[in-house]
Amino acid sequence: MKGSQFGFHLDRRTFLKLCSLATGSLLAPPIAGARNGDFRNDKNIPQQYVQNRDIPGFYIRSANPFLGVDIRNWGLAVGGQVKNPVGLGYEDLFGFKMHSQVSRLKCVECWSAKAEWEGFLFQELIDRVQPDPAAQYVYFQSADSYYESYTVDELIRDRVLMVLRMNGQPLSRDHGFPLRLIAPFKYGYKNIKYITQIKFTDDRKRNYWSNNGPYSVDGTIQPGIDHPLDHHKKPIPINGGEVFHFFDKRPG
Amino acid sequence: MSRWGTMVWLLSGWLLACESHEVKQIPVQVPPEVTVPPRMVYIPEGEFILGKPEDRRTAGGIQVKTGAYLIDRYEVTRAEYHEFDPDHPYSENQAQFPVSLVTWYEADEYCRWQGKRLPTEREWEKAARGTDGRKWPWLIYFEHPNTGFSGFLPEPVDKREEWISPYGVYGMGHNVWEWTESWYFYDGQPAQEVKKFKVIRGGLLQTHLSVRFSPTYFRNYMEPEAAYNFIGFRCAKDVEGEEPRASAD
Repeated sequence: MKGSQFGFHLDRRTFLKLCSLATGSLLAPPIAGARNGDFRNDKNIPQQYVQNRDIPGFYIRSANPFLGVDIRNWGLAVGGQVKNPVGLGYEDLFGFKMHSQVSRLKCVECWSAKAEWEGFLFQELIDRVQPDPAAQYVYFQSADSYYESYTVDELIRDRVLMVLRMNGQPLSRDHGFPLRLIAPFKYGYKNIKYITQIKFTDDRKRNYWSNNGPYSVDGTIQPGIDHPLDHHKKPIPINGGEVFHFFDKRPG
Repeated sequence: MSRWGTMVWLLSGWLLACESHEVKQIPVQVPPEVTVPPRMVYIPEGEFILGKPEDRRTAGGIQVKTGAYLIDRYEVTRAEYHEFDPDHPYSENQAQFPVSLVTWYEADEYCRWQGKRLPTEREWEKAARGTDGRKWPWLIYFEHPNTGFSGFLPEPVDKREEWISPYGVYGMGHNVWEWTESWYFYDGQPAQEVKKFKVIRGGLLQTHLSVRFSPTYFRNYMEPEAAYNFIGFRCAKDVEGEEPRASAD
């Protein structure tokens, strides 16, 4: 199967074209087997794997099906063009100041879902490793062979979090345990899960979906249409950037 | 002629027809005492149709009058903005692309630095649609060029002559959205949203999304502190000797 952390059962290009029509046809029929709690989009992948599941309220998207992270074997390496490269364990991450926010994950497929996210600011890592002034880019790698690319400026924007907890609980296996990124103004595919390595570089790397589909490295949410899962997937215009619907509370 | 030959002939004819589309221009007499600066367009005083009757968040398709004013023919380029702010991201090979990643405040400051100002929403719409209430600056409908690409693909600001407005202004239905001077407001707007957003207008034909965001009357909005890759701007200017422009829309 072609890896697709944020892939889906329809061909992605076809799906985007459907999105562009902004029709109600996006309301997919119930998935066979959903009645017994099996929301797998591909029944050929064993149940125990993290994989694409259209779970009501918050769909799961995972590039390369895998069994999830064994925290006993997990560590975070932060390095590249920095003065002080570090290796951090899970417990080390809770030494950073925690922030929480409610924000949407807006998938390029057209749907969005809202959650409370809790984590630390990327600035904490910058302060710890002290990147070279020339290192203006950041390359992430994950435990499921996914990779993503940002500028440092994007990562220190308001409401960008390195997330450890979701809705008052540690991140679940489906949502990226132990560590993921939440950048609410970027499409879901930019919000990398299962992070294992962070490298500061002086050149911009490509990301997984720009190499595997017609998707931009930048991934900023464009003005268009959203089908929020918490609003019966009804189409609602969005103005670009972080998604706030009329029933959402804006920060500040 | 073979079937394939016929198809190629028909296809090439269709492509040429698309490229040969010309937007009929409104004849404009510039008063002799007015000097139009380079890369600006003179928009004469007079009425035009503002908004769309079916869209309650627009002015509703009413006839309104503006004085004469000047507006940039093109969106501000990265090269032009680079002269103002050398620290802003810039590369030589995209010098003629519209500048983006600028806040409303930065756009406003740039225009003032040029001796200009941001256009009001009303001025922007008149420059985009002329006087016949058209839906798209280029008048005719064409199918949205959906590529399936998830991002935004900007182009040089002077590339699309076939998409100019009836006053000869480029980029009013594609390329970046543009900051305007106006606050976003509509009847029934919640009090907490009043004077919270600035109106942004006209852009984004070249994305994977819908053509519905290209009409001349479509109003988008954004916090003035926001800076995104899909928002740029152009400037406007009063005509000397004219009455000051109408207050914010």
